[in-house]
Amino acid sequence: MVLGKKGVYLAGLALHLFLIITVSSRDSFWLLSKSRTIFPESSKNSWQRAEQIASTALGQRLSASNPARQILTGYSHLSGIEAGYGFFAPNIPNSYKLVFELRFPDGRVEYELPRVSNAASVLRVAGLLDQIGRTRSEAFRQTMVKMLADAVWREHADATMIRAIFGSVILPSAAEFAHGKRESYEFLYAYDFNVSEKSTEQSTP
Amino acid sequence: MKTLSAWRERLIDFFFPAESDTWLAVLRIGLGLQVVLYALSLRDDWNYLLAGTGHGLISRNLGEAILSLESHLIPRLGWFVALGTQVDLREETVLSVAWICLLASGCGLLMGLASRFAAILAWFLHLCAAKSGGFVSYGMDNFMTIGLFYLMLSPLPDRYSLDWRLRKSQATDPQPRSHRGSRSRSELLGFWRRVLQLHLCLIYFFSGLTKCLGSGWWDGSNMWRALIRPPFNIINPEILAGCKYLFPVVGVFICVLEIGYPFFVWNNKTRKTWLMCICAMHVGIGLTMGMYLFALIMIILNVAAFGAGLIRTEHARISLRPQEVIS
Repeated sequence: MVLGKKGVYLAGLALHLFLIITVSSRDSFWLLSKSRTIFPESSKNSWQRAEQIASTALGQRLSASNPARQILTGYSHLSGIEAGYGFFAPNIPNSYKLVFELRFPDGRVEYELPRVSNAASVLRVAGLLDQIGRTRSEAFRQTMVKMLADAVWREHADATMIRAIFGSVILPSAAEFAHGKRESYEFLYAYDFNVSEKSTEQSTP
Repeated sequence: MKTLSAWRERLIDFFFPAESDTWLAVLRIGLGLQVVLYALSLRDDWNYLLAGTGHGLISRNLGEAILSLESHLIPRLGWFVALGTQVDLREETVLSVAWICLLASGCGLLMGLASRFAAILAWFLHLCAAKSGGFVSYGMDNFMTIGLFYLMLSPLPDRYSLDWRLRKSQATDPQPRSHRGSRSRSELLGFWRRVLQLHLCLIYFFSGLTKCLGSGWWDGSNMWRALIRPPFNIINPEILAGCKYLFPVVGVFICVLEIGYPFFVWNNKTRKTWLMCICAMHVGIGLTMGMYLFALIMIILNVAAFGAGLIRTEHARISLRPQEVIS
């Protein structure tokens, strides 16, 4: 291979590695600014600033329609480098559970979970519930829960009302488990979907 | 000036080492298997997870609308569905055809048949599915995209593929590949392997670093939580509670293993041990947390990046014959 061609490859690699490092740093800084870590609480502002700098370098502070941002973001997604690698880090959060309470005209009440056919899909649904649980956007949470309720409704077309109960699974520590404590559920949100009124009512703890 | 030139030469030697295509064969076959298993694992839920509004678990249209806000260049299944609508194909049919094509591309990769085309098709279709179903995607999808992205850019086909054999058998006037052409290909093989190696080093470094920053990995509580957290709780917690004294050791070991990866995997003396430990860690994750596909993709990427050379070295030691760098 001629030297000029190698130079092009190296330049491309440099940009690629720059993107990987910047995206990973940005996500690490985000985790540090949001989570409980070995660093003092007072350092969170610094991590937030560092995250903003990394986001700027990635063009995330440009307007959404800016071609440079569109290309950089597009390339990151095409090559699978749009997200960092902080899996199960720095700490492992609680998981979430969504239960549907279905009410029928004859007074019957049934309970359902979001249903998929195998373990591989269960992992995916668990990830979806994590996103719903973590979001700060009430509109997003409500939209997602409504879509999941719709899927259940299609299976039970005769139900007149569905209450979606969203909760967090509280895990005991190993020591607590040894003393008989088991996982428990903390109620977070409930949404009522009524077939006749086609409306949504929300209740929170 | 001399120093600068020497540095440049060292840099070029590092990024373009003459390399055989064994690692590429490992990556192709491994990713072929991964794509096939991925497609089969989703066969019953494919349409349900990726359907548009009113048919599936969640609306693909919402995910794609959010994607459009990020960049219009990100591939999505909606493009195919829109094309299908032009020729009166229902959404369900288009999604099913996409699934069949993905499975076929995985088989193509496994056999090495139309390797380049299969790699591009697998990358594109998997990316479309992962992005359109972004709400139900997780880390494994990212690593599949990374692997398929490098695979389709690497100099396929490799000598273990059907393509190679077909090409060889069809050549009526087999001209030996020119020395320059062979060298160029082997350097390109070396370059793409370096890219994969460097990427893996960054992945483990950042993964290890963020783990080290949380206290839960030092006292073992994160190990416990990872194993009892639904839906990863496939081992009875009663059994796990009996091993609770092991968790701090395993937690620290994982941190050291990940953060030390970029430093120890390059050294000839420590590479084999580190690679085996990392693969064992992924086997452990697969078996104890039920993340089989995640474990498989990580093992494939590791073995392709750093394992293929080890196999060759062993082979060379046994055969005591000089190994050809290029075929």
